Amino acid sequence: MQKDLKVLAAINLHAILRTMEDLCELDSTAAGLIHGAKTSIRFVIPEIKPMVLDFRNGQCKAHEDAGASANMSLRFTGPEHFNRMVDGQANPIPTRGFSHIGFLKSTFTQLAERLTAYLKPDPSELAADPEFKRSSTLLTAYVAFFALAQVAELDPLGQVNASRIADGNILIQLEDVGLTLKVRDHHISVEKGSCERPDATMHFSSIDVANGILSGTMDSYACIGNGSLAISGTVPMVDDLNKLLAQVSGYLS
Amino acid sequence: METYQYSKSQKLFSRASEIIPCGIYGHLGPAEACMIPVSAFPFYVDHAKGSHFWDIDGNNFIDYMCAYGPNVLGYADPDVEAAARKQAEIGNCTTLASPKMVELAELLVDTIESAEWAFFAKNGGDVTNLAMLTARAATGRKKIIKFNGGYHGVAPWMTALGYPGVIEEDMCNVISVPFNDLEAVRRAIEENPGNVACVIGTPYHHPAFGDNEMPVEGFWKGVRELCDKNGIVLIFDDVRCGFRLDMKGSDHHFGIKADLSCYCKALANGYNISALVGRQELKSAVGSVFYTGSYWLSAVPMAAAVACIHKMRELNAAELMLNLGKKFEQVMCAAAEAEGFRLHFSGASSMPFMRLEDDPNHSIHQAFIAECVRRGAFFANHHNNFINCALSEEDIRHTGEIAAEAFRAVKKDHADLLK
Repeated sequence: MQKDLKVLAAINLHAILRTMEDLCELDSTAAGLIHGAKTSIRFVIPEIKPMVLDFRNGQCKAHEDAGASANMSLRFTGPEHFNRMVDGQANPIPTRGFSHIGFLKSTFTQLAERLTAYLKPDPSELAADPEFKRSSTLLTAYVAFFALAQVAELDPLGQVNASRIADGNILIQLEDVGLTLKVRDHHISVEKGSCERPDATMHFSSIDVANGILSGTMDSYACIGNGSLAISGTVPMVDDLNKLLAQVSGYLS
Repeated sequence: METYQYSKSQKLFSRASEIIPCGIYGHLGPAEACMIPVSAFPFYVDHAKGSHFWDIDGNNFIDYMCAYGPNVLGYADPDVEAAARKQAEIGNCTTLASPKMVELAELLVDTIESAEWAFFAKNGGDVTNLAMLTARAATGRKKIIKFNGGYHGVAPWMTALGYPGVIEEDMCNVISVPFNDLEAVRRAIEENPGNVACVIGTPYHHPAFGDNEMPVEGFWKGVRELCDKNGIVLIFDDVRCGFRLDMKGSDHHFGIKADLSCYCKALANGYNISALVGRQELKSAVGSVFYTGSYWLSAVPMAAAVACIHKMRELNAAELMLNLGKKFEQVMCAAAEAEGFRLHFSGASSMPFMRLEDDPNHSIHQAFIAECVRRGAFFANHHNNFINCALSEEDIRHTGEIAAEAFRAVKKDHADLLK
């Protein structure tokens, strides 16, 4: 699959780096790294909607609104430059907040390594530690569904798939954790948490099932047959969502 | 009323999932068939007779899906089975064609008003694809006009960009317009002058998850005129509706003559055969297309089709099923009303699309269908249902009882959905 560098950059920013917010909720080590931190970083990439990661008092919040304040700005010459930074092959251009360079070089780098450990987990650690597996699966799911919104927005084929999805809310449930995908005029936004009366629902019966399906080791159709993945409501919405998810896999592979 | 359990189906599905993609792939699988929740549905049939089938757990169902259409006379119809057995004894898949092929072609030409020749294959998609190739061969043009959401099979051009395995080049000659929008058809033709090979459509619009839509007055006549004026081949995809609307063809039913018509589901009461029929002017074009398959000339399905068509003509099957469907609708609506629900029907009564009103996300309807299936009336919640000629008054009466209890179960067990 040919990856569109702009889409990949949007995924890297709004899906992968965004997930630092969840990492710091789920992982005490990550939360410990930012204990007492007061740094907010704006990522500015041409053609990509900017995002601010705000690290404060042991928590991280991702803000997509253009007006969000930040005490550090990192600029990139383009999507490719940003993608290379995510791959560890390039450095950002700080334009504001030089006093926070230390945080960027040490704490932020350690958080990124921590996130990578969850998103590209060691199979033996997954097998040995149920809590690690749960966190890894949830973070993978957050990345996948937030990435899906970027694919729907920016990828030409993703736009075609999104154009078929009617307005409404799709609820993704992983055990007791909910994620709501709001479709409005073929644009998709993602919100953590459940919603009332979703138009369609995709319910993973367990973390193991979610992990298996998201990692591609389980046949999702077979899971529907055995009830471990339950689809209901306006099923065509989920069908087209799955086509977007397949595109996400291509970008993340 | 007893509610069914499916332990054997579920066990076999688990075994199947190890070595068959999706466990059961395609439209009969739990995913594509929207079996919601899967625990309410059987997966495997043991045997079938008339309007009923029995699953491998021994549960008996009145079947309103009819194998998604092929069961038209009733499962294991004695006349069709006798004809198939007789042919099987003398030859099926052989080195030369069987005389049955000629007999069947003559019978189709005699039955379908617009048919002047017949070409046989196996599935509906074989002949919708052949129809498109024939139109291109006859006109030397590329473009295909179809209707949004119309289903013609699974070849790439029949699906949509974004479907796994489908690429832009597969779709670049396909123009989709809304059904019943004659102006959109006209515009598509005008925007592609001299380059439209065919217009393909089902006789009426029967999408999944949506009300079925009959052609508005003058729609098909208008499309026919546009095709005539612009040298475009008009293809009727009668795979689903064929012989359930009109024994003389659905184009005849709606007052026009299509250039090509595609038949499959109701042709042979479950034996695997499809047919493209058409006008004399396109006979050499279809003959010029190299199109064949290992089993396409097998004689047993042809013998079954001959017997099936004869019997359908004797019964006036289309009218019989339309009338049975009306009774079914009355019984179901009455059961709904008695329990405070409203069922909405659309499409032809021989293949009705049914949904509950005031249920925008389909969840109450899905719960209702699941409760019906658990009690022995097999419906789909997303697709039109099918009536067959063997459906009895008693079947319909009992279905009404099942529906009434299913509605009560929805009120009792799914109160959260009704808030």
